[in-house]
Amino acid sequence: MSMVKWRFFAGFLNSQAKWLNAMAAKGYRLTETGKLKYVFEGCEPGKYVYTVEYVGDRSFEEEENYKAFLEDMGYRVFYKNMNLDYSLGKVAFRPWADPGGKISTQRTTFNRELLIVEKEDDGTPFDLHTEAEDRIEYYKRRSYPWYYAVFLALLLGIIYWPNPFETALCGGLALLFALPVIIVELKIRKIRRETKLEE
Amino acid sequence: MKDNVKSGALTEVTFFILLALYEPKHGYAIMQFIDEKTGGRLVLGAGSLYGALNTLTDKGWIEPYGESGGRTKEYVITDEGRRIAEKELQRLRELTDTAAQIMGK
Repeated sequence: MSMVKWRFFAGFLNSQAKWLNAMAAKGYRLTETGKLKYVFEGCEPGKYVYTVEYVGDRSFEEEENYKAFLEDMGYRVFYKNMNLDYSLGKVAFRPWADPGGKISTQRTTFNRELLIVEKEDDGTPFDLHTEAEDRIEYYKRRSYPWYYAVFLALLLGIIYWPNPFETALCGGLALLFALPVIIVELKIRKIRRETKLEE
Repeated sequence: MKDNVKSGALTEVTFFILLALYEPKHGYAIMQFIDEKTGGRLVLGAGSLYGALNTLTDKGWIEPYGESGGRTKEYVITDEGRRIAEKELQRLRELTDTAAQIMGK
């Protein structure tokens, strides 16, 4: 018996993972994802755990390789979109992405910004990134789109310069987009501090 | 992965991956190897392992093994990788010898 739930988590990866884990704890296992749709089937409560991974800066080939690698590990992997976009034939430019991933189309990486990864709960925490250097790298990759957003907002602010309202609006947006950048920077510093302490 | 090339010191993860690949292995078997050899002390996330395998392949210390036709990709250590691993063993031996002398054990 399957159950359908409708949710949208955008870029809040942890909230999405938390929700999936809460569902699994109640005995619902993910079987299918759509843009807003999650389909579940009944399972033994607490049998599976989930984590959500950002892969939006990878090329399509890299995404597929990584997905296959995780599946070889015995995990189940689903693609998930991070944004909502219903246009057809969409092409997006991602200057922060790896070579080969900079131009995103619906045939390749578009709407496949996230991976939902499932494993059987073996009592150990489900962390895909355990090494300090690798964790820092992962956080950095996640913050690049926000650097780009800050840059664009500032650029618009300059273009609108003689109009105080527009300029203030763009400045406000730039500050808003800078928040994730700052949060990531703080996280990276924390990891660096902890790694040094351990030595 | 910050392997210190000058002093030759490898990170524990790098050294274990090199050791695991004296026999060709795929990702899951590498993880099992590390888990088994450290009694579960060293836990390596799949994402970190994936990154490490790519880094070590780029460095030429390991390489894909066999035909990539099958879905499961296997890796094996290269001659350069063996040289690096042997140097690390030498470095660790000197370190433990010095420690043993000083501590009188």
